[in-house]
Amino acid sequence: MLSKNTFSNALKDPRNIQILWLSSFLLTGIICLDWLANVSYYFFVFISALSVQILFIRVNHLPWSALKSAVITSLGLCLLLKVNQPIFGLLAGAVAIGAKFLVRLNSKHIFNPANLGILVLVLLGEGWISPGQWGNEGLIVVFIAICGLLVTMKVGRLDTGLSFLTVLLIAEFLRTVVYQGWPMDHFLHTFSSGTIFLFAFFMITDPMTSPNSRKARLIWGAFLALTSFWLSSFMQLYTAPIWALFIWSLFTPIFDKIFIQPKFKWI
Amino acid sequence: MKIRFVSIAVLLLSTFQSQSFCGFFVAKAGANLYNKSSQVILVRDGDRTIVTMSNDFKGDVRDFAMVIPVPTVLKEQDIRVVDPTIFQRIDDHTAPRLAEYYDNNPCAPVIQYETMLMKNSMVLESSVSLMEDEADYGVKIEAQYQIGEYDILILSATESNGLKTWLVKNGYSLPPKAEEVLDPYIKNDMKFFVVKLNLEKQLDSEFEGLSPIQISYESSKFMLPIRLGMANAEEAQDLTIYAFTRTGRVECTNYRTIEMPSNREIPEFAEAHFDKFYVDVFEKQYKIENRRGVFLEYAWDLSATQPVKCDPCPTPPLVYDDLNKSGVGWVAQQSGWGDYSGQLFITRLHVRYDRENFPQDLRFQTTPNRTHFQCRYIINHPASGDLSCDGAIEYLESVVDRRKKELEEVELLAGWNISGYTNYVAPYEKQLRLKKGEDSKKGSVLPIGFDPKSPKFLLYIFLFMLIGLSVPWLFVRRLMKQYLK
Repeated sequence: MLSKNTFSNALKDPRNIQILWLSSFLLTGIICLDWLANVSYYFFVFISALSVQILFIRVNHLPWSALKSAVITSLGLCLLLKVNQPIFGLLAGAVAIGAKFLVRLNSKHIFNPANLGILVLVLLGEGWISPGQWGNEGLIVVFIAICGLLVTMKVGRLDTGLSFLTVLLIAEFLRTVVYQGWPMDHFLHTFSSGTIFLFAFFMITDPMTSPNSRKARLIWGAFLALTSFWLSSFMQLYTAPIWALFIWSLFTPIFDKIFIQPKFKWI
Repeated sequence: MKIRFVSIAVLLLSTFQSQSFCGFFVAKAGANLYNKSSQVILVRDGDRTIVTMSNDFKGDVRDFAMVIPVPTVLKEQDIRVVDPTIFQRIDDHTAPRLAEYYDNNPCAPVIQYETMLMKNSMVLESSVSLMEDEADYGVKIEAQYQIGEYDILILSATESNGLKTWLVKNGYSLPPKAEEVLDPYIKNDMKFFVVKLNLEKQLDSEFEGLSPIQISYESSKFMLPIRLGMANAEEAQDLTIYAFTRTGRVECTNYRTIEMPSNREIPEFAEAHFDKFYVDVFEKQYKIENRRGVFLEYAWDLSATQPVKCDPCPTPPLVYDDLNKSGVGWVAQQSGWGDYSGQLFITRLHVRYDRENFPQDLRFQTTPNRTHFQCRYIINHPASGDLSCDGAIEYLESVVDRRKKELEEVELLAGWNISGYTNYVAPYEKQLRLKKGEDSKKGSVLPIGFDPKSPKFLLYIFLFMLIGLSVPWLFVRRLMKQYLK
């Protein structure tokens, strides 16, 4: 029987809400943005991510609720990464989840799983990111941003996302509007892309790969923003945030050493 | 379990594979389709970019002048004029196309396609005069060349007012809104490529129009500066981009790249107005996307190893000479089949931009995406002549259904009012009615659509039986459970 209790219990685990939001983005993409052709790729991502996760759940005797993380990672891969051959979804999913269990330090995985999966595929020359894929429709962006706010608040990682966005916004504003003298709409156009909000609220706010202490997260988010600003503005790298996250997740253990705080637990 | 998984995978793969199409080209319809338009060939290889700009300036050639922001100071060998026919050649090869099928012989489709004529993006009036005291205005002439029929200057500037004053002083009249964008370009360390016509050379040339200018440079920036072109244009302008890369499709990174609707069946009468049809389809699509977005019209793998260079081919495939003119530097000429060697991918993008909806210049990235795409529409001609065979009713029904759907499509795609086209379906409906009348006289028992031999009919019977039997079965089972307890 469904009762108020089960409902509020379901809400307690932020992963449930995250899955709900991310899948609604994916559905929006499939229905409104013609992503239907990618469905076989999505299928492969889920198959491989879930099977690798099941394997490690059995080996490490983890609770079955850990499957939710794999679902989130798969959704992240589906939303951000595009591939040439759908079959490469198998590789992306396996790399993402595999690295989560194999590359660990102080009982925390180092790399954000989806981020690593994307990076490997981009480096192999088989995958790419379409920063323009959401278009510049205000509604989609607002939708992503609000959902993102809700989830990150729930996980208590709002600080990372906001620090990242604020620093990026200021840096971009100073460069394009104040220094170069572009009109405001030029600047606003950059921040009307869904990709940047998806990244800010669903990727870097992963509690497992961001530092444990709030102070550390604020600094970490700011560094991430500056790196990605530098990479995109001066190196013309459109996948900048992915690289920035990869670099800065290497420093998370150091941040955890300096600012000591207990590790995050999902429930 | 394993076998099952593989079979699902194969099913998914086959569902989303694009269907191959064979056919041949018959006719072409060249037209000046868009009011304000220009064409650009972009070649991107690593950090090297080669840009070729079409030049069909209409007006007194003495007034012709052009300013293009470029990321580096170009050397003389980085600039050349190329054969103007190259644009037509690539346009013809990649333009949206119409395919025809004949019902009685579906393996012999006929293709017609349309072309686009373009106009230059940024034109400033000028008169021939001497350049003087540039230093006073913070303007530096980085280089000065005479190439083809053009006099070319590469300028760098420290501030926009100085540049503006200098340009005006040297006989270039600037549109009022140009200043807004000059400053950002200067701050972004862009140089200004200023072109005007050398009248003596122009008179020597046999060619009537102006040659396209091709420039090449090394820069991590892969973009097209469209903002300067908007300074003197109130209405939206059309730009067609032909991009060549080694790896795959070129995609816009700061606007959404959208595939045009393709492989749709449209009515026969659209053939005569295919140009207008496509212009309307584009217009509608452009509005659906809220007047922003970059539209994909063609994407094809042209690598030497790729056996199918186009499918169907509206023109003979591009050859080494075309690629050389376009600035594709990495392919090598070879004798024999294919004419060139190396990896090559072509993307055709169409963008309609204006100041309001395109606040940023177009930025691009090359992707590894080698999926083919062509913007193709299909018309079907019904079979004519004697329709007295057994399958005639079924065939006529399919024709009526198809033609109704085709009308809906043309309304949906191009926004055409279809109320005046009732005649498009009526004759076939009439024919069908007559046919059915004849058949009922022959004594057919069941109404049309319930042919006892058809699989559809058997399916209905099966479904009815399933539902009809399952209800009593559930009831019986429940009773049995109760009594057995």
